[in-house]
Amino acid sequence: MEKRQVHRVRLSELHEKGMDRRGFIERAIAWGVSMLCGGLFAYPVFSFMTFRKSRKRTVIFHSDEQGSDVFFKEGVYLVHEANAPRALSARCTHLGCTLNFDPAADRFRCPCHGSVFERSGKWLSGPAKKDLEHVPMKQAENGDLTAVVTL
Amino acid sequence: MVLIFYYRPVGEVFANVEAITTLVPYGWFFRQLHYGSGQAFVILMFLHTMDHFLKKRYVHYPFRVWVTLILALFLSFFTLFTGFILKADQEGVFAGRIFMNILQTIPIVGDSISRLFIVSGNDFFFLPYLYHCFFLPILIVYLIRHHIREWLPEKGFMMAGGAGLFLYALLVKPGVAFPPDAGAASVEGPWFFLGMQSLLKRVSPLWAGIVLPGVFAMCVFLLPLTRKSGAFSSSGVWMLWGKVDWLRYAVMVMFLLYTGLTVKAMIWGS
Repeated sequence: MEKRQVHRVRLSELHEKGMDRRGFIERAIAWGVSMLCGGLFAYPVFSFMTFRKSRKRTVIFHSDEQGSDVFFKEGVYLVHEANAPRALSARCTHLGCTLNFDPAADRFRCPCHGSVFERSGKWLSGPAKKDLEHVPMKQAENGDLTAVVTL
Repeated sequence: MVLIFYYRPVGEVFANVEAITTLVPYGWFFRQLHYGSGQAFVILMFLHTMDHFLKKRYVHYPFRVWVTLILALFLSFFTLFTGFILKADQEGVFAGRIFMNILQTIPIVGDSISRLFIVSGNDFFFLPYLYHCFFLPILIVYLIRHHIREWLPEKGFMMAGGAGLFLYALLVKPGVAFPPDAGAASVEGPWFFLGMQSLLKRVSPLWAGIVLPGVFAMCVFLLPLTRKSGAFSSSGVWMLWGKVDWLRYAVMVMFLLYTGLTVKAMIWGS
């Protein structure tokens, strides 16, 4: 008799604390609903804060700027090749520093972490590992070359 | 406080900073005062933390006090770093881009997270500016509010510090700043990130910039929790584990390695 009573007391205690089966389901539902509501609010907030239009920027090389062997303008290198000029992004593929052109060695060098690239944009040494980004170009009727860089 | 009336985080920011330094009356003085007091604040904050660490004083305080101290220290360094970006000279711009690119290497959420701190394009300096002048100062003052209320240095000490900073700003002129498109052969980060810079030359950005600093920060934060580690020293290997404060040694080793790397970079270049 005594034992059964003790058991009953414990059950009711559990019920009061909301820890029996019914209480657990209730709490689980309450928790789930609040998480859902929180998420429903948090998702738009996060989307709003992290939204970014894909943005592009154009660099125009006028005909008088196309003469030199390697020409730098606004983050783009215009490199003369045998057939046609080629536009390379001056952003180091490692962490985005602007590369310097070393005319003596005919290489691009990064001043921040020392990556080295060939004149064609191919990666040679250093932590960058990837080749330089080729920037698409269009030639206008007046001879201007327009390069479109993604920001 | 004075600089905020002239500094603009959009447009020709480098020209704006140069104007403050060379054109605006006493601009050079206020810039050096701002720079010197910022450095002094972070260095004193760092010494304060070292004092707590070396004397194991964190054992006598509640856990949250230690967390507050470390968080305030890291945020102070971040304030210094955003200030470094906002100079808008070559090293500032590059530091900002490196910061952005390192954040972007975080898997899945990297792009979104980097967007919360810095973006490329015309408003490059705007978010660092917002953090430097608004979020971070408010957050740091909030974190140390009890400290400010209960304990401030003696008047004499404050006066001496102020006079020292005044003299520093008066006598030491700002260094020559390179414009962002200058072709400098090598560009260095702020002194406290020189070790990171040499690490980035050898280790992948995710590891050098996120994982290793993250592990170090976690170890530092959790340091006081190991003070009762005797609790699980029951037998064998665990006995040894419980008797040695591993986390404390791990923090020391990581810190000394990083300091060594930084000093090496300072003397011989990174």
